[in-house]
Amino acid sequence: MPFTKINNKMVEARVLPGQRLFSQRGAMIAYTGDVTFKPNLTGGQGGVMSMIGRRVANEDTPLMTVEGQGSVMFGHGGHHVHLIDLAGDTLYVEADRLLAFEGSLQQSTMFMGAQGGVMGIVRGQVTGQGLFTTQLTGQGSVAVMAHGGVIELPIVQGQPVHVDPQAYVAHRGDVRNKLSSALGWRDMIGRGSGEAFQLELSGHGTVFVQASEEKL
Amino acid sequence: MSYPPQQPYGQQPYPQQPYQQQPYPQQPYSDQQYQQSYQPTQPGMQLPPMPPAPPGAPLPQHDGSGPVVHDVHSLPVNDNVNPYAFSVDLNGPYYLQKGKMIAYYGDIRFSGIGRGVLDRVLEQNFNSPLHASDWVVAEGRGKLLLADRAFDLNSYDLENGNLTVRSGNLLAFEPTLALKQSIIPGFLTLIGTGKFVAASNGPVHFVEPPIRVDPQALVGWADCPAPCHHYDHSYLHGVLGGIRHLTGIGGASGEEHQFEFIGAGQVLLQSSETLMAERSVGVVASEPGVPGGGVPQQPGHGGQQLPNIPGLGNLGNLGDLGRRFGL
Repeated sequence: MPFTKINNKMVEARVLPGQRLFSQRGAMIAYTGDVTFKPNLTGGQGGVMSMIGRRVANEDTPLMTVEGQGSVMFGHGGHHVHLIDLAGDTLYVEADRLLAFEGSLQQSTMFMGAQGGVMGIVRGQVTGQGLFTTQLTGQGSVAVMAHGGVIELPIVQGQPVHVDPQAYVAHRGDVRNKLSSALGWRDMIGRGSGEAFQLELSGHGTVFVQASEEKL
Repeated sequence: MSYPPQQPYGQQPYPQQPYQQQPYPQQPYSDQQYQQSYQPTQPGMQLPPMPPAPPGAPLPQHDGSGPVVHDVHSLPVNDNVNPYAFSVDLNGPYYLQKGKMIAYYGDIRFSGIGRGVLDRVLEQNFNSPLHASDWVVAEGRGKLLLADRAFDLNSYDLENGNLTVRSGNLLAFEPTLALKQSIIPGFLTLIGTGKFVAASNGPVHFVEPPIRVDPQALVGWADCPAPCHHYDHSYLHGVLGGIRHLTGIGGASGEEHQFEFIGAGQVLLQSSETLMAERSVGVVASEPGVPGGGVPQQPGHGGQQLPNIPGLGNLGNLGDLGRRFGL
């Protein structure tokens, strides 16, 4: 794993020749050695078609390619950083939460609206995910940003996890999510508990939750 | 936390002993009660040692469950209270940036720089007229608590040394240090022997040169002889780079400009300079799908109002029925 955590807001990444990293533009804090930062025209992996896909899906966070030999420190906006190691499984995360990830991971955009119909659209609106999300697959590690510290909640069969949509960061594994609402007449007169919408994640995997209801 | 506490997933309920309900004010636990409430979970497990009974008045119990209550004697002397607050044992003059004092014990006067009898003293160690309006002198005796936007605070010792720090990150310094403006705009240099307090977004990370640093992430540096700018536009070379340069398509990496440090010394880094946006407390953020989000509280009304539906008049008021029924 090329990433090492320096403190809860900074990671250090080893860059070796032939192993490139992708990172959010402007997220470099410092570097030593001979490292170059190239703006990534297509905003990630894949060709021009992937770029168009990302543009359409609004998952086109500006990325840069980090290449060379040395070590780079990443951090952005004073947000907390969480490292996730992927061993062949898939991470679903919003593109603007990606601080840096290894070039060995396959990046693609996924349509989320298929899960849950109209409620899926509402879910996209509430979580800020929109209808699309970015998925990363393969062997490698990812540094994800969150406002406040991140906790991992395991999801096992038969025990769904309910998450505040605003505190949701990412999830991995074979997970279905749907928005469950507990809207009542109290919400209509503005006397709700403030927890009218919850994200229900079921299946098998892990969900990452931030200790804040503030989005990035 | 909901009450009664729920069992976490997949965990067996604790073999809980019922707590001895104690009348308020609480007596310290007797030995026997302690043994009862601490049931070893496995055979052969040692009981933790009994904490010594405090003489006289019971001290606040610091078991990590509640807030730690400090008084003027228990506040640390020139040390952090927690990562975000710093306690100064004041005895004499002390420089601090405006608005960083959160509380104090004792008899302390705060006066702006450039006023009154202090000016004579100041001439020797405050050589930055540009920043004079941002600083105040605290004088007197007592305990002074400093904090800054929930940033991490640290105190640094200088022994006949020099350290340059971003002016917004410097909170306070002892008058044994001399403050000067750095050649790099926006930075202040401290020279001499003494302590100062600086803030950083996230803990400070120390690195040794040679290194190139993003200007935003730089907190300061010590002893480095030659801080300089480094511009990196190598991706603008070649055919593709030429197109990028001419059309602007592809943009910039955002990392063309760094501060470069060489030579012996230390460079201090933080996660980023960007601050959390100020926001008033208690209003739900305006977001699609969140009922009542972003509607400011009406003065004189307890809660939010219904949207105005045309034809029904102002539903939100209804003669303030909701408020009268305490909804």
